[in-house]
Amino acid sequence: MSNGHLVKIKGARKNYGSLAALDGLSLTIEPGQFMVLLGPSGSGKSTLIRSLAGIEKIDSGSIFLDNQEVNRGPINVAPEKRNLAMVFQDYALWPHLSAFENVEYALQRRKLGKDASRKRVETALERVGLSTKGRNYPHELSGGEQQRVALARAIVADPALLLFDEPLSNLDADLRERLRIEISTLTREIGATALYITHDQSEAFALADKIGVINHGKLEQVDLPEEIYERPTNRFVANFTGIAGTFTGKVKRVSKTSCVVSLGEDQLKVRHTVGLEVGQGVDILIRPAATSFNRDSTNSLAATITDVAYRGRGYEHAIATKYGSLTGVFDTVSHPRGGRISVSIDPDRCIAFPTETK
Amino acid sequence: MTIFWMVIVSILVLPIILFLAVAFSPKLLDQGPEWFTFNSFKAAADPYFVRSIWHSFVMGVVSSILATAIALGVAWIVLRTNSAARKVWNLAIFALLLAPSYLIALGWERIFERAGVLNIAGIDLPFVRDLLYGPVGIAMILTFKGIPFAYLVISNAMRGLGEEFEQAVRVHGGSRIAAFKMMATLLLPALWSGIAIVFAESISDFGVASQLSSPGRYSVATFTLYKSVMSIPVSFPLCAAISIILLMLIVVALLAQSRALRGRSFRVLSGRTRPITRQKLSPLGSIASNVTIYVLLILTLGVPVFGAISASMIQGLGTVISNYQINFDNYIRVIKSPLLRTPLLFSAEAALMTATVAVILAAISSRMLVSTKNGPGKKFLDFFLLAAVGLPGIVFAIGYIFAYNLPLAQKYGFHLYGTVALLVLAYIATALPSTTRSLVGNMNQFQESLSEACRVHGSNGIKTWLTVVLPLISRPLLAAWCLTYCGTLLELPVSQILYPPGHAPLAVGIDHALGNYDFGGGTAMEVFAIISALIVVAIAFGLYEKLAPLGWKQLGRARS
Repeated sequence: MSNGHLVKIKGARKNYGSLAALDGLSLTIEPGQFMVLLGPSGSGKSTLIRSLAGIEKIDSGSIFLDNQEVNRGPINVAPEKRNLAMVFQDYALWPHLSAFENVEYALQRRKLGKDASRKRVETALERVGLSTKGRNYPHELSGGEQQRVALARAIVADPALLLFDEPLSNLDADLRERLRIEISTLTREIGATALYITHDQSEAFALADKIGVINHGKLEQVDLPEEIYERPTNRFVANFTGIAGTFTGKVKRVSKTSCVVSLGEDQLKVRHTVGLEVGQGVDILIRPAATSFNRDSTNSLAATITDVAYRGRGYEHAIATKYGSLTGVFDTVSHPRGGRISVSIDPDRCIAFPTETK
Repeated sequence: MTIFWMVIVSILVLPIILFLAVAFSPKLLDQGPEWFTFNSFKAAADPYFVRSIWHSFVMGVVSSILATAIALGVAWIVLRTNSAARKVWNLAIFALLLAPSYLIALGWERIFERAGVLNIAGIDLPFVRDLLYGPVGIAMILTFKGIPFAYLVISNAMRGLGEEFEQAVRVHGGSRIAAFKMMATLLLPALWSGIAIVFAESISDFGVASQLSSPGRYSVATFTLYKSVMSIPVSFPLCAAISIILLMLIVVALLAQSRALRGRSFRVLSGRTRPITRQKLSPLGSIASNVTIYVLLILTLGVPVFGAISASMIQGLGTVISNYQINFDNYIRVIKSPLLRTPLLFSAEAALMTATVAVILAAISSRMLVSTKNGPGKKFLDFFLLAAVGLPGIVFAIGYIFAYNLPLAQKYGFHLYGTVALLVLAYIATALPSTTRSLVGNMNQFQESLSEACRVHGSNGIKTWLTVVLPLISRPLLAAWCLTYCGTLLELPVSQILYPPGHAPLAVGIDHALGNYDFGGGTAMEVFAIISALIVVAIAFGLYEKLAPLGWKQLGRARS
């Protein structure tokens, strides 16, 4: 049984001058669920998380935590009364307090005895692997250690809602991956509801029970990670969750879930998620996983290798076709720059959307 | 917050607005028959006033340019070379910053005046005396007083300026002088700021004016203003008109600064800026730089300190008696005589109250000024704090007399005129703008997320202030408290105009003693005052080091 908040946001709007940071956004997060909001800079994800924390106030709409309305009109429950914790992008560790004191601070609201409090802090620091660093001040810790202290501070009081504001964006790739695993396991251990915002799609897919893709203050799609990847409901979602390239063509034949698109001299079979008509102009968004150098495929195009990059487990190639370029075409062996090759396209992993009229 | 705004409006906004408004509308506040008139400005066009305003302008221009030029040279020696004198300067700069201009002027007077220290030693330099009591003396002391202000602005900018710009000049064929010129060009914003700040300080200075200016010799505007408000009957519209003209001069200086820099980018500070390497001076260069710094220190601090200490130890200074004695009798007199002792104790109490209240208000004000929320309250506060920085202390004091002596104030039960409370309120109001500005930089460094983290982890607004905001700015707060304490202890213009009968503050006490030709007693009070200020500062920082938690103390410390 989860002890997390049920989070409901209904029609939230927030403007900064003429700019709408939140544009009637609605979202429900089930108790104990790990929700990741994925979106580009300026999409409104920070405003949303800060409104949930109570640091910002929405202009209209309402926010409920466990069916208690915490923000609507003049109602604005103070952040300290929302039973939540937050991990900040810049860590926000108080520089005048040691690591131990930073973590202990968040426990004050629980009003535990001195011994019980010390034990909880020690356990939290141990859980993030910093049991020997309690006496250190923030400036005496590395970036990764500082973020771990922030994580310990967030979990120590067993809050009902954990908010993560791009907590890994300031760390190097290796550390990011290790801390991502810690965040994932620790959050699920304490059973809190979690809302994590990021612009990094790999981070989102790795962490989330559910992903919400946000753009211009609106949710474009909320779904399971697999659904978001396999069945993006619109071009923005597909684009933002990773593509190797885009080709433009016309629909030649169409069935319920797939269609054949004429690119000129060549044709490609692809999937579609919205209704298409024969003759309609479409853009084909191709996932990196859709591409390979499989010579036997019938769904393929002639290409020239323009670049090759070694990635440890193999090679990623950039290629040029008559209809556009593709990146991230993987093979276990390297193909020389300038070489002619046939690139095959998996129809299930590329999606056609009607061409946007400008 | 309501209380905060009530305090700000009553101590800062109302006195300024009411007083300045009377220049245009005397009838509005029962100061004349007209609702709207320029008559007071016509009266201010009298040659006597015009001359004093012109004198102030000339003194402002001369002292600001000289102080900025000297400060630029000193900053280069202190920050860019290995000159041994740089360490002494870093200590002396704060002493110079703390010393009020009238004390510097008094020190020079005591040495060169008739029957002064040099006279007693058998040296008479009448031409130096004549220079001192005239434009040269006034410009000199104003320049000395302006140097620390200009130095702080220029040195802060120079610290952020990497040496690669100068190196680029040298590797492309430029001489050392060409490299220095390049650095000076890149420092233009700071140089203009230095000029504007010193100009504003000089125009509004009353300390030097009170000692060296006189109607017969060389009158400046603040002195004329003082004389006008002390004459009977007082013409408040005329005083307000002169004050507005003074303010306009300061505004013109600020406009000139912004116009000179408009459209030019001086953003030289970046993450790639490399730390500078101190230039190793040749033996000759080393001697020259040391001599420059020490001569400057002797002129700015040494002479006034020597003047004050020597004068305080000479019995009969300033009189025509011939058997002068050197002893500590004047100090004993200060301790024993209530006339001399009481002002020191009174000012110490007033300074204690002022510093404490001003620092609390300044902490709140500076936090509001750096807030990301750009509401009307912030703009309003910003405007009035800026206006108050540019407002001469003497104008402030006159504004207080005017606002709190109005029948309206009496009608609503504000019987503050002529009370200690009004004096302390005026002290707080004059200290608030500069104290706030001194804290804004530190508040700006404070990341908003630190207090947000407090709120989301269970603390309310007050607890957030107490547990995070205050500890993080504790040292700057303490420094601001000490600066305000010292400034108030030795404050002259507001004290001179607003002191209630029987409660002469220190500056007035010294002035009275000197006015009664008790030069020994007056200077002994000066020395006592400065020593007491230093003791208070030492105790404050000592207590901080002893009592503050380790985490507070290690903030901002360099790593070993």
